[in-house]
Amino acid sequence: MTMAATALAPTPAPAAPTPAPGKRGLGRALSERRTRFGLLNATPVVVYLLILFVYPIFSTLMLSLKGEEGGFTLHWYTDAFQGANLEILLTTLRISAETSLLALVVGFVLASAISRLKPLWAGLAMLVVVVPHFISALVRTYGWIILLGDNGVVNNALTDMHVPGAPVQLLYNEIGVVIGTTAVMLPYTVLLLYAVMRGIDRRLLAAAASMGAGRITIFRRVYVPLVAPGLVNAGVLSFILCLGYYLTPALMGGEKQTMVASLIDEQVMKQNQWNGASALGIILLLLTFAGLLLLRLLKSAAEALRNRGTAS
Amino acid sequence: MIELRSTLAGRITLAVLSTLILLFLALPIIVIVVTSFGKDAFGSFPPEAWTLGWYRQLFADGSKWPAALSLSALVAAMTTVFSLVLGMTAATALVRSELPLRSAVYGLVLAPLVIPQVVIALGLFLLFEPAMMLGSPIAIALGHTVLASPIAVMILMATLKGIDERLEDAAASMGASRLTVWRRITLPLAMPGLVAAGIFSFITSFDEFFVSQFLSSVDTVTLPVQVFNVLQYNVDPSVTAVSAILIAVAVVALALVGVVRKLSGSGKQDGLLPTEPGLGLPAGSETAS
Repeated sequence: MTMAATALAPTPAPAAPTPAPGKRGLGRALSERRTRFGLLNATPVVVYLLILFVYPIFSTLMLSLKGEEGGFTLHWYTDAFQGANLEILLTTLRISAETSLLALVVGFVLASAISRLKPLWAGLAMLVVVVPHFISALVRTYGWIILLGDNGVVNNALTDMHVPGAPVQLLYNEIGVVIGTTAVMLPYTVLLLYAVMRGIDRRLLAAAASMGAGRITIFRRVYVPLVAPGLVNAGVLSFILCLGYYLTPALMGGEKQTMVASLIDEQVMKQNQWNGASALGIILLLLTFAGLLLLRLLKSAAEALRNRGTAS
Repeated sequence: MIELRSTLAGRITLAVLSTLILLFLALPIIVIVVTSFGKDAFGSFPPEAWTLGWYRQLFADGSKWPAALSLSALVAAMTTVFSLVLGMTAATALVRSELPLRSAVYGLVLAPLVIPQVVIALGLFLLFEPAMMLGSPIAIALGHTVLASPIAVMILMATLKGIDERLEDAAASMGASRLTVWRRITLPLAMPGLVAAGIFSFITSFDEFFVSQFLSSVDTVTLPVQVFNVLQYNVDPSVTAVSAILIAVAVVALALVGVVRKLSGSGKQDGLLPTEPGLGLPAGSETAS
């Protein structure tokens, strides 16, 4: 937990206003009052999360280390890295990588296009990005099922255009899953990238152009380094969110697209296999932590890259 | 990007591409709304004939939908209350006072947003199963609050930061007690934020799947779980109508947030998506200020 906390915490906590100089005694008394007040107000949420968030995850961890007849075992973990389970784990990583890469590329194109628009149009376009985000992913997945079926809108259009090979199988395979999950992750990547792109000082690009840099050079040497922190954020974030994602693969995938969350659900709901499910959950958690850690490392690297970009 | 004013062909390509991407985001939603009014719920698009039959069927005898809908509404209402209480106190602690281990507390509050939901749901099952609370609306709401409260905290922190602290100090200097200041000054000024936080908590709970799935029992099933079961196992064409209703709820809720923001004149440009800056992975300039 501590790791998540540190990884999540915004880097500099804004310093509390320093007490007025001169009246040190009064200042300290005020400060103590503010501290008491803070503790009082922080208590409900901290207690709540300790009972309903930290403790449950802790008991999941405990359960994953418990043998059938009690006692300590790593059996459930070795089990998770074997045979069909290992395959599902690798599938999860693969689909998450494919999805986050696609969402990153598509998000980059859309975000950079929106960042060039006039405010009114940019606002409307962002509405189209943000509103779907708040509509149940389950419902949107259902929309994709209607769209991508053998007699769905997409295949009918392809057939009408006499595309060779149509109708194409777009559901219950990896293409379907990746389309569906990308649609779910896309709002995140667009928003993160758009925020960075809007903050870019356009004069840097103008400066590069005035020094005789061509369009491609400006893009490669100035624009991309400036956007790099956003790319890292958006890529890792959508990867992490994808790891534990369930609905779309469960509804749009075939047998080969089973992901870890589906496996956990199945072990719990159908096999009553709580220990194994717990171990898988903990593995998912550790993968998430690894992603967050990677984000921290890449963040500093991207920062360095950006500094070089702005310096040159 | 004036300096990069690319060739006409380049700009047209970008425009076409981004229109297609926007369509990619909107299409699944449009298709459901349209299909829900079509005679052939699983078939041709656009529908050949129109009907309101699927909506009528929702409330037909023996339908499970009304029970699921009212359970979801009840759970979402409770979640909203819980998250607002937790969110307001937590935001006050984080913004308006001095807190030891402040960033640890902040990290803890935001952590449920990045932890896989299946793990949270699994843990909650282990907590509520021995307590014999499976299927209880309160248990489901308590679980949903874990996911909704980070969003409420973020919105309310932004709200409190936007309220001039000197107004509170002024009231206090006139002799108002802490509670009076809070009730008469802070609370009214924070109202738009509270409404927004409440609405987002409501939608979060109303749409939530995993926690509900793990904490429900045979006869208490929330709307999303019911939708999922239908999509996975049965064929019930009225599910398109339910989906359209879910879309309508989300759109109306977002419009309400927009209206409240407009009326209060705050948040004119950003913040429609509260999860974004709050994921604690701030993306440069935007969150820096």
